[in-house]
Amino acid sequence: MRFPLFVTGLLLAASAFAGAPEDTVRAAMGKLAPQVKIDAVQESVIPGFYEAIAGGQFVYVTKDGKYVIDGNAYDVANRRDLTAGARAKVRKSALDKVGPEKRIAFAPAAPLTTKHKVIVFTDVDCPFCRRFHEQIAQYTAKGIAVDYLFYPLSIHPGADKKAEAVWCSKDRPNAFTAAMAGQDPGKATCPNPVPELTQLAQSLGISGTPTMLADDGTQIPAQIAMSPDQLAAELDRMAQASAAHN
Amino acid sequence: MKRILCLSLALAVLAPLAQAAEKPEDAAVRKALTDLVPQAKIDSIEASPLPGYRQVIVGSQMVYISEDGKYMLQGTLYDAPAKRDLTAARLAVDHKRKVDAVPLNRRIVFAPDKPKYKITVFTDIDCGYCRKLHSQIAEYNKRGIEVDYLFFPRSGPNSPSFDKAISVWCAKDRNAAFTAAKAGKTPTPAKCDNPIAEDYKLGAEVGVDGTPTIFAPDGTKIGGYLSPDQMLAKLQTLGTATLAGN
Repeated sequence: MRFPLFVTGLLLAASAFAGAPEDTVRAAMGKLAPQVKIDAVQESVIPGFYEAIAGGQFVYVTKDGKYVIDGNAYDVANRRDLTAGARAKVRKSALDKVGPEKRIAFAPAAPLTTKHKVIVFTDVDCPFCRRFHEQIAQYTAKGIAVDYLFYPLSIHPGADKKAEAVWCSKDRPNAFTAAMAGQDPGKATCPNPVPELTQLAQSLGISGTPTMLADDGTQIPAQIAMSPDQLAAELDRMAQASAAHN
Repeated sequence: MKRILCLSLALAVLAPLAQAAEKPEDAAVRKALTDLVPQAKIDSIEASPLPGYRQVIVGSQMVYISEDGKYMLQGTLYDAPAKRDLTAARLAVDHKRKVDAVPLNRRIVFAPDKPKYKITVFTDIDCGYCRKLHSQIAEYNKRGIEVDYLFFPRSGPNSPSFDKAISVWCAKDRNAAFTAAKAGKTPTPAKCDNPIAEDYKLGAEVGVDGTPTIFAPDGTKIGGYLSPDQMLAKLQTLGTATLAGN
């Protein structure tokens, strides 16, 4: 106890800031935007800051809880977008908890082996998602396994019902491919992970479809991911870069 | 590094501004920014509310760079307990100076008898929400709001929207021609000395990235379309915030 007793009152008042990172971030965000849900908090690599996902947005909060920055952080010397890296970490740990029973998987068929894995948030009624799936054989031929997670957007009324119908069909991958080709998947219902995955996507700040994530949680720009050749090259490059980094 | 790219594109439009005398300790900050964005034209480097950071104004944007030049934060800085957007408040000072410098004879003014508030609206004849706003011009005026228009044809010089703006400006009855064009009538082609190119350049300097972009009397960027009631409420809140905040 470095502090004499008479400052106890002050310490109590300050205790909201002296607590866990979650408490600090919650207190700061609570003042700015009380209704915003805080999905994850961690120590930032930037000295003096916590970083958090709040309402799907990435924010930095000073450790005293006074300042909040809604934006991106860069490591100047290494020219790295730290926010993208931190966001990837949070996404990876959340996606690691989504078991295979909630995914629709298209993997390279033997004798091909899986070199890379991507997760794609998808929506039956999104034209780019359909375009992506049209090429599924080309992705798997290049050793890329694709795990789809349903994320029907609210701008596509009825897409959630279609997702459920696909999910509840007997042959899920085939029903998915048929629905992506424009066929009506019917109206089957059953217990399904669509609402849970939708909520997960929103909590991770994923706002559109298709959203493609590499195995480490990094989001791959659509202009690369929509091309099987470019996606394969990019995943090779990322694997090499991460091998060099560790 | 998508946001950095946006930043540099916006900067390319700007002419270099006079630089304030540089403190030696800002060398690391300046180097950090030019390492990340080589073509950046720095308007000012100044003290920041964020401990250990300097704030750098680059065109219409602000970034925060650690004094040691290691980290750059790009985004909006909030004072959480005060619920204040410090970035917008600082930028508003510059915006106000630049917008206020536009003389009356460069504006198209729609004012009530005794205006309580004056807003400056960057507008494009061929933009839906600009038209909607102007269709309610009497309602804004009725609420004591004077609307000063400056042209910002989004498609840029040598485009039909730009030419329409010139034609409106050069019409005998400018306000009537403006209202007619906003109602969808093609203005009679006309040419004369006009400030459209200057207004367009000013728009880029104050961060106009779409239309309508509305500035409050204190330089705060209100953003896009608001209904007459919403606009009045916004101006009233800003008024008190300014009084309380400064």
